[in-house]
Amino acid sequence: MIFVIDDDLVMAECVAKACGKKKVKVFSNAIEAMKAIADGEMPELIFLDILLIGPDGFTFLNELVSYTDTEKIPVVIVSSLDFKQRDLSVYGVVGILDKTTMLPEEILDYVEKYCEKK
Amino acid sequence: MEVDGILVAAHELKAPLAVLRQLALSFDEMNSTGEHIRAEMVDVSERAIKQVNDLIKVKRLEDGLFVMEPVSVRAVCDDVMRELYYLFKHNRRDLFVKYSNRSKLVMANRELLHSVVYNFLLNAMHYSGEETRAELRVKDYHDTVRVTIRDYGPTLPMDVWKEMRRGWIEKPTSIAMRPGSSGLGLFIASKFSRYMNAEVGAVRHRDGTSFYVNLPISKQVSLFDL
Repeated sequence: MIFVIDDDLVMAECVAKACGKKKVKVFSNAIEAMKAIADGEMPELIFLDILLIGPDGFTFLNELVSYTDTEKIPVVIVSSLDFKQRDLSVYGVVGILDKTTMLPEEILDYVEKYCEKK
Repeated sequence: MEVDGILVAAHELKAPLAVLRQLALSFDEMNSTGEHIRAEMVDVSERAIKQVNDLIKVKRLEDGLFVMEPVSVRAVCDDVMRELYYLFKHNRRDLFVKYSNRSKLVMANRELLHSVVYNFLLNAMHYSGEETRAELRVKDYHDTVRVTIRDYGPTLPMDVWKEMRRGWIEKPTSIAMRPGSSGLGLFIASKFSRYMNAEVGAVRHRDGTSFYVNLPISKQVSLFDL
């Protein structure tokens, strides 16, 4: 399963659609996503926006790396902020997509790379 | 508008534009008309995003984040032309290009120079009539390299020309003789040029306007010359 966390639901749906046939769950804020994980839903991959309503993407990333069962979940940042020069691998970030230039194929590439084929 | 206000507005605008672009890309397979509309939607939103990004860069100029380095003018102009080629073709405008500069490298910031040339060329496309052409010429001019973009549209009004003669545009101003113009492209080009110690100006013709930017030549040996 893939998690898409973005307070802009239209953008989130676009990302979800680009994930192809994989099961995707969309969250509009970090708290709901964290609750789902605490309830036992373990995503294979997370597409995460940074500027969110409530706790931001970095708060979510900090939370994620602080637990042994979630620290290795690959995360792709999807944001219109410029993170190109930053190394965010300590947060488990495996990729950064710029919302203003990304293509659906790039999203699918991450899905194919990090999700099990079923 | 205050520069900080511009920054907030720019960030606010970027999100819906990015969504619009992504929505267009998300459409399922379509017939050729649909494909054409989809391509237009993507193009329009990408151009708007580019302009919004330029506004953000205007704010970042204050922080001095743009490094000045030897830049190949030709490479930058080629990049811009590749980006705008289909837009010119689609709008039935020709793009004439002539490089006659001996000095290949100038001291500039690649990103900012790209924006200056892009804004001037986009302006030229908007204001040149259908089936006419815009011209991009690069040549040596004293101890600078001059990039000139000529259009065949309405002549630049005297007050804007005077402001450009001074070397920079204080704020975006609507240009009445150029309908639909907010003067934003000129404002951005003049801000970026000033940051790069480049001189920006305009020449009025009876059948159009030439905008130019004079860029200081880099003394570094160009690989092109080796």
